[in-house]
Amino acid sequence: MFGRYKGTFHREDGDILVEAERNGGLLTYRRRCEGQTFERILVSKTGEIVINPVEPVNLPKDITDFLQIEFSPMVIEPGATQTVYLKFPVEIGVFLEAARDIEVLDIFGLGSQKYTLYGTPTNGVIARWYHSEIYTEVPPPESLREGVMELSIHNTSHGWVEISCVVFDSTDMKIYYGDIVATAATMKIISPNLAETDFIDAPLRPGMVKSVELCVARKIPVIDRGYLMEWGFS
Amino acid sequence: MTFNVTQILETPIGVGDITAGNLMYFVVILVVGVAVARVVSTNVRRALTERLPKNERELLAKLVYYGIIIWAFVVALPQLEFDLSGLLVAGGIAGLVIGFASQSVVSNLVSGLFLMFEHPIKIGDNINVGDVSGSVEDIRVLSTVVKTYDGIYVRIPNETVFTSNITNYVHNAARRFEYQIGIRYQDDANEAIRIAKEVIAVHPFALKSPAPSVFVDNLGDNSVNLTVYIWAPARNWWDVRTDLLWKIKQALEENGIEIPFPQRTVWFADGLEVKGRFAGKNWKEE
Repeated sequence: MFGRYKGTFHREDGDILVEAERNGGLLTYRRRCEGQTFERILVSKTGEIVINPVEPVNLPKDITDFLQIEFSPMVIEPGATQTVYLKFPVEIGVFLEAARDIEVLDIFGLGSQKYTLYGTPTNGVIARWYHSEIYTEVPPPESLREGVMELSIHNTSHGWVEISCVVFDSTDMKIYYGDIVATAATMKIISPNLAETDFIDAPLRPGMVKSVELCVARKIPVIDRGYLMEWGFS
Repeated sequence: MTFNVTQILETPIGVGDITAGNLMYFVVILVVGVAVARVVSTNVRRALTERLPKNERELLAKLVYYGIIIWAFVVALPQLEFDLSGLLVAGGIAGLVIGFASQSVVSNLVSGLFLMFEHPIKIGDNINVGDVSGSVEDIRVLSTVVKTYDGIYVRIPNETVFTSNITNYVHNAARRFEYQIGIRYQDDANEAIRIAKEVIAVHPFALKSPAPSVFVDNLGDNSVNLTVYIWAPARNWWDVRTDLLWKIKQALEENGIEIPFPQRTVWFADGLEVKGRFAGKNWKEE
């Protein structure tokens, strides 16, 4: 499903159908996903259609940039570093790419979404919520529904800390795809209620392809500064 | 007949030593200043379209616009033989006079500046000021423009906005709303609560945290009344509210739980006797 397509193509995987067919001189892009359809007529001679996983904060409506993953509570000793694997939701982005421009054509995904508030109603942020188990090895995800996040946790505080969620600013997210969808991130615990999270721009396995980021396609300049979790992590 | 341009430009206009040329230069500098201000502010607005929120973009564009015009005015003033050093002294006196003469204008201006920096409201926010409710269309130097939910344009002087109680419905990230749902006395309230919670749980924008709350609030005249509290993103709460109520009602009915009509049981101490003719024969009922 993921990849670059030029001209006509037809891809079908479970509940998802994506195709482009030519009618006369026009190209018709068509997508069907869990009963929802989307269609656009494209006028393009040299453009390519790029399909790849994107930051999972766009469905059913783009209301936030933040992603919160909740997991079973973990207690970490002072100074410890541990790498774990979590699953994160995947949304599929379809882009139109020409020599000098790239544009978002369509975003869709399988399954349902849920949002939550991280922090207080006054100062907190709305975040896409997802629950994951904790894995010590790369789990086998459904590529069109879930990705794998390699999360490196470092407790730099002077006390034991319990964590059961991690919050990211998805504008920094770097997603790679191959046989699975993957991203890598860090969580640096500074104090019992404060942690820094950020994404690492590196593939989980050699040979994975980097996804086109939505902020690049939308021409939104982004400064990669991570996210400061100020409202605790349990 | 010939015209000497130099001679015309050097013609005094009768105010001090100011010539027609000085006046022309003054006007030209101002016109050029306004033109440059428009071009620059338009380009600033365009360049920042996707980089800054609308209200900050508009504020910056306005600052650039008025800054260039003031700069052009100061540059042009010497053409009218205006001594800028004298302006400081005269300005103080003139400021007092103008201040007294235009108290409301200055008050609105200062209130506008405070509003821009304090940020109690932003362009696009849903607010209530006094008896006006709607979304903020623009925050200007002297006034704030609100479009009511009926689509009506309302201009509110900034002093009024600043000194009124402002309710900003979308200032916080999330807000709570509630439903009152009545069920029949013979229905299982625990089952109704479970069904309502299930419907809320699958709605994307009914927030996971703070968790929704559903409970029996009171025993009414005609129904057992449940109260439902749901938190939603502040900018989407109305959509969630309108969407969820009907889904909860449908889910309850699908599970045999009904929302009762008002009803009253009447007891007659001596029984009830009804007399009359119906379909050609006498009938009696007690």
